[in-house]
Amino acid sequence: MEANKKERFIKTIDYHKKIIYKIVNSYCPNREHRKDLEQEIIIQLWNSFDNYNKKYKYSTWMYRIALNVAISFYRKEKKRSVKNDFYNEASIFNIVDENEENKTELDYHLKLLQKFINNLNELNKALMLLYLDEKNYEEIAKILGITKTNVATKISRIKLELKKEFQNI
Amino acid sequence: MEASELKKILAAYETKLDKKLSLNLASLKNINLDKSEKKTQTILIYRIIEIVVFALLALFIGNYIAINWNQTHLAISGIIVGVFTLIALAGSIGQVTLLQQIDFAKPIVDIRKKIELVNTHGLLFVKLMFLSAPIWWAYIVVGSDYLFNIDLYAHMDTGFVLKYLMVNSLLIIPLVWFLNKLTYKNLHIKWVKKTIGLFIGTKTMKALEFLNDIEEFEN
Repeated sequence: MEANKKERFIKTIDYHKKIIYKIVNSYCPNREHRKDLEQEIIIQLWNSFDNYNKKYKYSTWMYRIALNVAISFYRKEKKRSVKNDFYNEASIFNIVDENEENKTELDYHLKLLQKFINNLNELNKALMLLYLDEKNYEEIAKILGITKTNVATKISRIKLELKKEFQNI
Repeated sequence: MEASELKKILAAYETKLDKKLSLNLASLKNINLDKSEKKTQTILIYRIIEIVVFALLALFIGNYIAINWNQTHLAISGIIVGVFTLIALAGSIGQVTLLQQIDFAKPIVDIRKKIELVNTHGLLFVKLMFLSAPIWWAYIVVGSDYLFNIDLYAHMDTGFVLKYLMVNSLLIIPLVWFLNKLTYKNLHIKWVKKTIGLFIGTKTMKALEFLNDIEEFEN
């Protein structure tokens, strides 16, 4: 039973790995600490796995938990030390060529976009990540717990800022 | 940047992730998944200890008032101390309720608010301390009577006591106004921020500032 649950859990994580990866990257600029955040998100997802509410999509459930954990992590004052010795150099999410120099213009723009997201405050960052993941306003509102109108207003404001940012290059 | 350009960038990113992102199963399987949320548990234990302490104190004060019911000054002093104890007890019960409502699968804004309200618990005690200022004598009267069996009131001049009570009663109104100002909603006022900063730690201050950000985000 437990093995079966673990199997389902791993499948879910694998299917939605991009969500966790993007959140970790946006909320944790320090690479050394990313492993800790990945671990905290995975543990929280596992602890909540039995209480998953089928009323919502898996991605909605995952976004809520991962964002909540990431915001808490981001707000912690103490500088953490890497304490998970079992990790060694390995992270849960591997990306090939992460350190490779960006060569195309598109990659350069992507880097700028990531920088822009990293500079937003915790809540706007969550909003932007959801928007960029093409969630509709209703779903964003459900994940964040604000109204649809508010989502629309905030997104248009952030888009304007983004436009300005990219005009400067 | 136009929407079409943004979409192009994102599509490229998605493609990159689809191609290059993989799950490290060995690392994932090595995580102790059953590790509980230690920090939340620790805070919960602290708050439960607070509840037990304040509940015992409330019982003691209740008993003290009952015993001294016929001695008006002791009963009134006891009631004042009792009211403060009950406020503190209610605050701690509220904290435990908040902690139990924290479920990370719920909407972000709702959960962040609850977490930050837990982090601002210290402000309640600062407010209680300020509010106690005009009636600090109640603690002294109850304390000296209970611990040393000395009734201070009997040694005081009635005229002095009356004047003292009048002056302190007048202090209550500005004090209530002052305490109402000490909330995260007024952090933009310099003296409010300075006063709060003087009595509470950085963690509580950051929590108050974030509550402010949450409110702005909601509106």
